[in-house]
Amino acid sequence: MGRLLIGLAALALLALLAATAASAAPGDFDASADVLAVSSNGTPSFLDGGLGELRFDDNHQGLQLDNVRAGYHGEVADIVHFTVEAISYGDRQSNPVDLTQAFAEIRPFPNGPWRSRWKLGAFYAPISLENRLQGWRSAYSMSPSAINTWVGEELRTFGAEYDLDWLGRQRGHDWELGVGASVYSWNESAGELMQQRGWAIHDRQATLFGKIGGATSVAVYDERLLTAAGAARAGYYLDGTAKYLDTLELRALHYDNRADPNAYSDANYNWPWHTQFNSAGVRWTPSTHWTLISQWLAGSTCSFAEYYYDCWNFAAEFLLASWQRGPDRLTARYDRFDMDQTPVSEPGAFNYNQNGHAWTFAYQREINRYCSVALELLQIDTSLSPRLEIGEPVAAAERELELALRLQL
Amino acid sequence: MRLPYRNISRFGSLGALLISLLQPLAAAELTVSVVDAGGHGVGGIVVIAEPEFAMAAKHPVRTAIMDQQNMQFVPNIVVIQTGTGVEFPNSDQIEHQVYSFSAAKSFKLSLYAGHKYPPVVFDRAGLVVVGCNIHDHMVGYIYVTDSPYFGRSNESGQVSLHDLPVGNYRLTAWHPRMQEPGGSSLQMTLAVGEGAGASAVFHLAQPLRPSTEHSGDKRWADY
Repeated sequence: MGRLLIGLAALALLALLAATAASAAPGDFDASADVLAVSSNGTPSFLDGGLGELRFDDNHQGLQLDNVRAGYHGEVADIVHFTVEAISYGDRQSNPVDLTQAFAEIRPFPNGPWRSRWKLGAFYAPISLENRLQGWRSAYSMSPSAINTWVGEELRTFGAEYDLDWLGRQRGHDWELGVGASVYSWNESAGELMQQRGWAIHDRQATLFGKIGGATSVAVYDERLLTAAGAARAGYYLDGTAKYLDTLELRALHYDNRADPNAYSDANYNWPWHTQFNSAGVRWTPSTHWTLISQWLAGSTCSFAEYYYDCWNFAAEFLLASWQRGPDRLTARYDRFDMDQTPVSEPGAFNYNQNGHAWTFAYQREINRYCSVALELLQIDTSLSPRLEIGEPVAAAERELELALRLQL
Repeated sequence: MRLPYRNISRFGSLGALLISLLQPLAAAELTVSVVDAGGHGVGGIVVIAEPEFAMAAKHPVRTAIMDQQNMQFVPNIVVIQTGTGVEFPNSDQIEHQVYSFSAAKSFKLSLYAGHKYPPVVFDRAGLVVVGCNIHDHMVGYIYVTDSPYFGRSNESGQVSLHDLPVGNYRLTAWHPRMQEPGGSSLQMTLAVGEGAGASAVFHLAQPLRPSTEHSGDKRWADY
């Protein structure tokens, strides 16, 4: 309950700050608070130093503050805009209030069908097709897919992104196309959580100044910053988007953080993780009521973990079907994922691997523009070999039932 | 898009006067119905009757409005006669940046809220697609026609056009979400005679493509 009060106080503070900012300059402010009633049989999660794949375990049931968040979008010039998104979690957050994104966007008026855009700051790569609500939250369920859970907990672009859009609809065509490229750095810790714990499903995004992992963690070496870096080498991603009217959106992205695993430093105890992957996805909205989303992501992460150069391949995919009518939305999602160490270079070490699948069923009802409720059932079945290191069975079937109340401005 | 009606103002005021004296004084009412494959009326369809004969130009006298509410253009389809001004007030709490680079009209309205700009005058016939540079999902359509005879079908799929001079007309039915074999419009010719009002029916072979935008909800964002 104490955390709940802290969170609500944080929301009040954020609202006050945003209102002050809004009175000074026109902009778009939004805020929300999610309160949950949780029932879970999950094993201790990575937030508690465990290897559970859910956010809430059997020690964190009952009334929980999921998060209190606020976002502000404003303009500093006609073509220069900025977005700041802040969040306060009710459980195990190193900073009471922290940021998840903060970036400026330069968006000149198009003079023809081609338009350039630049982003500078800390923001998400264009991977998720389900995280469409402000605050990079899923519009279809409380907990995003395994793919987008991992994007939220380990990936952030600290750098610049350039996008070139072809605005076909403005020319009377049905298609719009876009390509983008990004150069970034300071995200060389991406891959560590994947290697240690594999895929998970929860709505806990890493924050820009917060730490990931539990201080008492057994399996995850140590809590560390999202920005923990070795040599801070420049990484890149290239992406493409195609949209057909409001009906179809296709995305593809190639990511390589180009981290140098040789840049390990005993001083900060951070291993750079060379992480690269490809992702692709499609969102199809065939009618007013139905939305279908599928995403795929596969890649590898490599590091000199414990002085042995090892790599882990990882892959995941999901299929989501969502039906909406008026204030009601029903969503079902199936996730399938795996992670596998190859090769195992340390003599006698066992293979770190994971495979599993998950079902998510969610019902959301919007009571009014300020209030909505949701009921969500998550069932995740995994086989995760690192559990042997902490004396747990390799296989686990974790289940979480959430009743959520969302208040929003 | 074919816009065959030729404004005769190029003949000068004397020419216009002569032609207006020569053309029939009789005026008729034209009722156009738009129905789907099941015979049910389809609302919201732009219907235009373009005279295929020379007539004196009728100059538009009103200003149209395309508002911005809840991050949508409202209405998101406006049909106007050439020369009409359109106001783009912003009723949202947030600023928008309205623009178009369509061949029929190119314009930019820098960031604003409320009623900041005078009406934009659309002086060429054609389809003008309007967007917001901040919110890409906002799309509006302004159909500019030389003809003074136009309207949009009501919920029953009907539109009535008044005071049409006797003669031949090209009728056009258009909607951005029409998906007919020929595209987003249907056309036919029709003779409007003296006496009883004329009528015409457009049969849509395909239902309108469903609108799947979430643009009315500010909580949706582009990531």
